[in-house]
Amino acid sequence: MQNHPSYPVLSQLLEKYPATGGALFQVYNDLTLAQKWIDVEVLDLPACKRAAIKGKRPTPDTDRVPSICIVVPCSLSESISASWLRAAFTSLDPLPSEIYVAITSEDTSTVYYKISQGIVKPPV
Amino acid sequence: MAQPILLRVSNFKAYVWDVDDINILRSHHHICGILTGTLPHLSSQNIFLGLPLQLMPEEAVLLVENEIAVLVDDPSAHYAPSPSTLKLWKEARLNDARQQIALTEEKGSIEASNPDRAMSENAKRKRKEREERRAREKTNAAPRVPVEDSPSPHRTSENPSQAAIGEPLDSTIVMPSGSYTVNIPASSSKLEWYAPHSDVSLTIAREAGIWLYPSTLQERARCGVFRDLWEKGYYMGGGIKFGGEYLVYPGDPLRYHSHFVASVIEAPDAALRPMEIVAHGRLGTGTKKAHLLCEWNDETQVVSYLSVEWAGFG
Repeated sequence: MQNHPSYPVLSQLLEKYPATGGALFQVYNDLTLAQKWIDVEVLDLPACKRAAIKGKRPTPDTDRVPSICIVVPCSLSESISASWLRAAFTSLDPLPSEIYVAITSEDTSTVYYKISQGIVKPPV
Repeated sequence: MAQPILLRVSNFKAYVWDVDDINILRSHHHICGILTGTLPHLSSQNIFLGLPLQLMPEEAVLLVENEIAVLVDDPSAHYAPSPSTLKLWKEARLNDARQQIALTEEKGSIEASNPDRAMSENAKRKRKEREERRAREKTNAAPRVPVEDSPSPHRTSENPSQAAIGEPLDSTIVMPSGSYTVNIPASSSKLEWYAPHSDVSLTIAREAGIWLYPSTLQERARCGVFRDLWEKGYYMGGGIKFGGEYLVYPGDPLRYHSHFVASVIEAPDAALRPMEIVAHGRLGTGTKKAHLLCEWNDETQVVSYLSVEWAGFG
């Protein structure tokens, strides 16, 4: 991992949260290299005992400004809870309207789910 | 205030047997329930069902807590009828049968007197058989059918004022021969021997042993979540078809599709597996809905919501 180009950006938080290091590494690489997100940064989320990733998601239309999204990585084998999800919201400033949970599996598949606080209708 | 609706409890399930009550529950209180009764004319299917309406336990709890309904222990509300009541009932049945046969005969004579009416061979044969049978009956006396004495001795111990078991009736009732329809009322409300005793609160019902819901944290969580969604004006239905506890509709389910599939999380720290988020989220989005994680906090009695959707990438 140390020889990987992503390592320098992630090294501090990988050291701080070794348990979730695998998920962080996998999701960071997926976002930057496969999903082609831009302005990608890592944040410290002590309430969830892990790092989170902030970046701009590319939009299909070129005239729309890409929105800033927060991604919280998590492995399929973990046990989380509703309060864990809400803690992710409250520890972020400014409070986002939604976050993305990135769930990683051992075969390197990463799936993303959008979580919003409250009762939010699906888009038509 | 309007009279509370009677929820008839049998084996810890709440049923509504009166159509007017079902209407009120749906239109005034946005509680839908589900019809579970077989339709006699359409018996071998379960798409269209009739009375009674069965309520989810959370629905019954909410209605009783809001004083919209009361619980009735249905089995003990049915008493053994007194011999005089039974006699009246049987006479009413006999009159109904006679009326039906008279109408049938009248219809038959109208048809017979109309010569222009074309009749198939089958119809002609049947009419001939009917006339022959009627002629035979007129010559023979109708057999006397003695009626049985008061049934169900088990209930009388609860109601000592009722007549003793085994007392014979004053007269035997003769049911006429000929075909007629026997009507069995769906609701017991109009029966002379139905006298409901209602339990006004859940506590009393619990002590009486007829209603126990909610008893566990999971059940309390469901009641709490259901109530919160109901107070926000939503209509709720069962969620099994979409992998959740409830379907949450913005209006009457006959008019709208649901926007949400809700599942109940019994405590803020209850373990949640990421795979559940994947399964709920993808199924919700795949069916044009969002999944609603409804977290119940038993200490603060507050519901917190998280809406889950597939991100659409990855």
